[in-house]
Amino acid sequence: MELYLPIAEISINPSIFLILGMSVGILSGMFGVGGGFLMTPLLVLLGIPPAVAVASEANHIVGSSLSGTIGHLKRKAVDIKLGNLLLIGGIIGSFIGIGIFNSLIKIGLVDLLITLTYFFFLTGVGSFMLYESLDSLGYLKKKKRKKTYHHSWIMGLPFRMRFKKSGLYISIIPPLLVGFVVGILASIMGVGGGFIMIPAMIYIIRMPTSVVIGTSLYQIIFVTAIVTLLHAFHNQTVDVILALILLLGGAIGAQIGVKLSSKLEGPYLRVALGVLVLSVGIVMASDLLIRPEETITLIRGGGSH
Amino acid sequence: MIKNYLKIFFIFLTVTAQAPLDLVIDTNERDIEIQPGISGTKIVLFGATPTGKRDIIIEVVGPPKNQTMQEKNRYFGFWLGRGKSYYKNVPSYYNLLSSKPLDEITNQEGLNKLGLGIEHLPLGKADIKYSTIKQSEFDQRLRSEMFKNGQFFEKQGNIILRSGPGKVGLFKTEFSLPPNSLQGKYFVRYFLFQNGEAISYAESTIDLKQAGFARLIWLFANNFALLYGIIAIILSGLLGWVVSLIFSRYKLT
Repeated sequence: MELYLPIAEISINPSIFLILGMSVGILSGMFGVGGGFLMTPLLVLLGIPPAVAVASEANHIVGSSLSGTIGHLKRKAVDIKLGNLLLIGGIIGSFIGIGIFNSLIKIGLVDLLITLTYFFFLTGVGSFMLYESLDSLGYLKKKKRKKTYHHSWIMGLPFRMRFKKSGLYISIIPPLLVGFVVGILASIMGVGGGFIMIPAMIYIIRMPTSVVIGTSLYQIIFVTAIVTLLHAFHNQTVDVILALILLLGGAIGAQIGVKLSSKLEGPYLRVALGVLVLSVGIVMASDLLIRPEETITLIRGGGSH
Repeated sequence: MIKNYLKIFFIFLTVTAQAPLDLVIDTNERDIEIQPGISGTKIVLFGATPTGKRDIIIEVVGPPKNQTMQEKNRYFGFWLGRGKSYYKNVPSYYNLLSSKPLDEITNQEGLNKLGLGIEHLPLGKADIKYSTIKQSEFDQRLRSEMFKNGQFFEKQGNIILRSGPGKVGLFKTEFSLPPNSLQGKYFVRYFLFQNGEAISYAESTIDLKQAGFARLIWLFANNFALLYGIIAIILSGLLGWVVSLIFSRYKLT
């Protein structure tokens, strides 16, 4: 069976996209990432124009992260208060990010920046998570582990607030700042930023892993909703049919992922996410480091100027 | 676009100077509505022309689309595509059909003058940014990528010529539009050649439209962008919510 996508303007086989949506959905529910960093390149690989892929992917994540959040809410694993703080920082950051993005377009450096940010963050975040989680599981015992608690300056910050779900009594400045920085990066890279947000929540804010996933998903709903609206309004690149097909698979996948995440312990979950992020980074690296067969290529769907 | 108009004008000049219009053409389809999910549409072209030592070339040119080529270079050890060549209004579909191999009909110069064939199709002036490569090099790669992607075709020698009653020669050919063809006007241009010179020209158009629901969605997204975005978000959220409801209802999680 073939299905015509009205905005992407191509015919596709829906079953492939259902399965794709489901696989990414499982990862999303399990790790609390939106999955944009995986899905967008895969959609482009399947022939969807990049601009449509990014926008429809955002639309898809709205639903899959909502599905995942509801799942985590039932397990009381969402810290809405902390999530809101991250969200506020994130929204301010993404507007500034869009400003940076637009000024880089003018000097023709935007593609370079996107590719390099992707590459450094995927490999950097991935290897750090892998190292840390293996270390905390006791696999790396070469040197004595220094237990680092909150840095003193973080502990000393004013405007402290109690976050019951996370069991934290901390200043509101770090969550706002983390949200802000992730917001900037996410809007430059055109992703929800879950894969940066999660490690930041674990290692900087020191939230328990069990609450991190649900809280991350919770704020991703709103971030991707804003992104969807901006793309639909400015570029008319949101393909709602594509998004709904991905979502049908994705929402089911997210529920399965939620179930799986409660079965896995925190450090193991972090090992798995670290491996996943790192492998995407390595695939990208090979693309960047190996001399391409043809140096001059057509950008598929790259019609805009 | 302007180059295309000039081309037609030029053809008319050369044609009218030599012979009266002696090319009668028709097609089985003028307005085509593609139903979503149907793969490809076959179109038959036919017509009549006086018999004799004559050859026919037909080109089908699809609606224009902007294209971007990129040039990858090494920056700090990374292969990155900074150099760009922006093309305006490149045909999204091109097909050349002929009654004989092209080099038996006319020479390269003749083809070039009329812009016939993938190699000679005018691509217009590109806007090249951050690259020192000449446009001809970008052009060549664009042509070959469009051919590889199944958007540009050349089917030499598949126009069938038959002699009809009296001194009338009949010709017929067919081609298919791929399922992912853009909607819009497809220009079909007929060239009659004699002794290597174009002596007559005719043109017709085929209007391709996506029928039904997909078309409605496209119109909605383009005319009511904000509302479309809001509905897209609501639909996505709703579907996500319903799925999680179903899961908890049947205690699947």
